[in-house]
Amino acid sequence: MRSHKVIEIRNLTSSTYIIRMEKNDFTFKTGQYITLGFSGSIDRREYSIYSSENDNFLEVLIKEVENGLVSKKLKRCKTGDYLDVDGPFGHFSLEESEIGRKKFLFIATGTGISPIHSFVETHPEMDYRVLHGVRIEEEAYEKDSYPNGKYILCTSREKSGDYHGRVTDYLLKNPIPSDTVCYLCGNCHMIYEAYDILEKQGISLGPIHTEVYF
Amino acid sequence: MKKVAFKTLGCRLNQYETDALASQFQDKGYELVQFDESADVYVINSCTVTHQSDHKSRNFINQANRRNKNSVLVVTGCMANNAKEELESREEINYVVENDQKTSVFSLVEAHFDGEIIHPSKLNADLFSYGATDKGFHTRSMIKIQDGCDNFCTFCIIPSVRGRAASRPIQDILTNIREVISHGAKEIVITGVNIGRYEFEGYQFDDVVEQILNLEGDFRLRISSIEPDGFGEKFLGLLNHPKMTPHLHLCLQSGSEPVLLQMRRMYTAKRFKEIVQTVRAKNPDFNITTDIIIGFPNEGEEDFSATCDAIKELNFGHVHTFKYSIRKGTRAERMLNQVDERIKTERSEILRNLSDEIKVNYRKSFIGKTQSVLVEKIEGNIANGYGEHYIPVQFTGENIEKNQFYKVKITSIEDGSDPVLKGEII
Ligand SMILES: Cc1cc2nc3c(=O)[nH]c(=O)nc-3n(C[C@H](O)[C@H](O)[C@H](O)COP(=O)(O)OP(=O)(O)OC[C@H]3O[C@@H](n4cnc5c(N)ncnc54)[C@H](O)[C@@H]3O)c2cc1C
Ligand code: SF4
Repeated sequence: MRSHKVIEIRNLTSSTYIIRMEKNDFTFKTGQYITLGFSGSIDRREYSIYSSENDNFLEVLIKEVENGLVSKKLKRCKTGDYLDVDGPFGHFSLEESEIGRKKFLFIATGTGISPIHSFVETHPEMDYRVLHGVRIEEEAYEKDSYPNGKYILCTSREKSGDYHGRVTDYLLKNPIPSDTVCYLCGNCHMIYEAYDILEKQGISLGPIHTEVYF
Repeated sequence: MKKVAFKTLGCRLNQYETDALASQFQDKGYELVQFDESADVYVINSCTVTHQSDHKSRNFINQANRRNKNSVLVVTGCMANNAKEELESREEINYVVENDQKTSVFSLVEAHFDGEIIHPSKLNADLFSYGATDKGFHTRSMIKIQDGCDNFCTFCIIPSVRGRAASRPIQDILTNIREVISHGAKEIVITGVNIGRYEFEGYQFDDVVEQILNLEGDFRLRISSIEPDGFGEKFLGLLNHPKMTPHLHLCLQSGSEPVLLQMRRMYTAKRFKEIVQTVRAKNPDFNITTDIIIGFPNEGEEDFSATCDAIKELNFGHVHTFKYSIRKGTRAERMLNQVDERIKTERSEILRNLSDEIKVNYRKSFIGKTQSVLVEKIEGNIANGYGEHYIPVQFTGENIEKNQFYKVKITSIEDGSDPVLKGEII
């Protein structure tokens, strides 16, 4: 376990924030997660890495969960605080051999966009689209990071997004070519339903293609 | 001569580690006695994977203390990691030794009898420096290739008690196996926490298996418990090697896709079924045994039915069922919709009946077939051992020797829920 100094907090909404930490000698593969907690605290949680492999800092995107312990505590952290980082862990990762050759569709709900952000920041040359499911538009976290036309926002509670409805509705209405490589991250129900829809559309998904948060 | 007794709870890896410790104690002149006898040293290699294992571990600690109050009582294993403070505060326990210092239990006890009290935290941490297991409890020679796990399935405490995944250097594994074969080992069992994730300097799990199979000698190889992720098609191809035993303990945990996702298992039920089909396509009676967790949070009737259906469809040789119990600090501990204990008990009962039925059917299918039985126990002219499919077989004969293979034709099967096959030497 290593201790990393917090260098910046960016509040994206009243509940969602990005913690930027010093990277020190930490290395990871884009898509992986860390476990994070205040130095010395036994309360730790998993967070996907938001920043790119090449950035000289480490970032996580966190949404404060109602009645949540750690997401609430971490929201109070300040520049100069130290956080304990363990990892990196996880197998949610891109196949090197596919990066320059395949078309990608990244499907995420809520903060599940975090490892996707890391994917596209690490490999901006990839041929990809991002399908992001949120309730309201303000949860389209840092959508300007994605070039024009590459980011499709699905909003389920208001009509402000590119598509009004859930990502699974979008997938049913807009079938995906079967040679697309899909990655899914976020809540379990979305992943379960989307998995089913994609399989029926002829897309085969391996174990490395899903990351369940809760 | 000082006497030492062991009690092992939990997984194959613990069994291996006890075997290695028992061999070391015997090599140094100790007499190995049964746990229910009076001994000078009791070593409890504990487990903490469910509430029940915690309970059993505590029970054995009490028993050892009752048997000889002046004995040296060492508690090691996963409970020593998970409930260290509680165990250290119990006066009757002399030493609480965490998993990564388990290799040093003998030196700790030696020092104790020499009047030197070493705190276990001062011992060397080494996951792999166990000696041979030739004087242990098993005819099969277990070889540890890996320890720890980074998968963090949401129900599992093992990553916190066994630590991060670590792989033993491939050359050490091969040297160790050559050594045990030269000492007469006939069955090698490779063991670890998550062996499919073996990785050492570019060598993956299937490379290790391939190199072991290519070693010379009259032995067979058994893979112990393995997770359905981590290995690839190459490994499945190696399952047909003549030295490989047709048995895998492949952990399914649930037949429901939503439950598997919430467990953060790294495969789908569909993928699991494909693996079984691939294996059985080449070898239809291949023995696949599994573990199932009953009553994981949010497990509804539909999920449970999916598990029962998978069990019926996959024709497992044995299903080990566990009732889900909350382990502190895991993600599943914080999940809403924990399943009522009564429902878990009902489902366990259903599943146990189902798995007993398929186990008996599976074993019956061996009547008329031949098994190559490695003899482990002989009483009079009755020999007991395991066939290559890891099913217990009993047969009779004159001058039968332990640790030798015998070709046995299966003629009948015992009654009961865990029936032994009976046969005749060919
Ligand atoms: C591999 C992995 C990567 C993750 N990456 C991220 C990430 O990048 N950003 C992020 O914000 N979170 C991420 N999470 C979720 C994160 O680990 C925590 O679960 C989350 O921050 C809540 O923790 P807490 O201590 O505040 O809530 P807890 O005290 O643990 O839980 C309080 C209640 O909220 C529920 N709950 C837990 N997580 C969520 C959730 N995400 N949404 C709604 N309810 C929830 C729990 O079931 C519980 O009932 C990830 C989880 C995993 C497994
Ligand atoms: S793979 Fe999952 S169940 Fe097996 S040891 Fe690792 S965390 Fe536990």
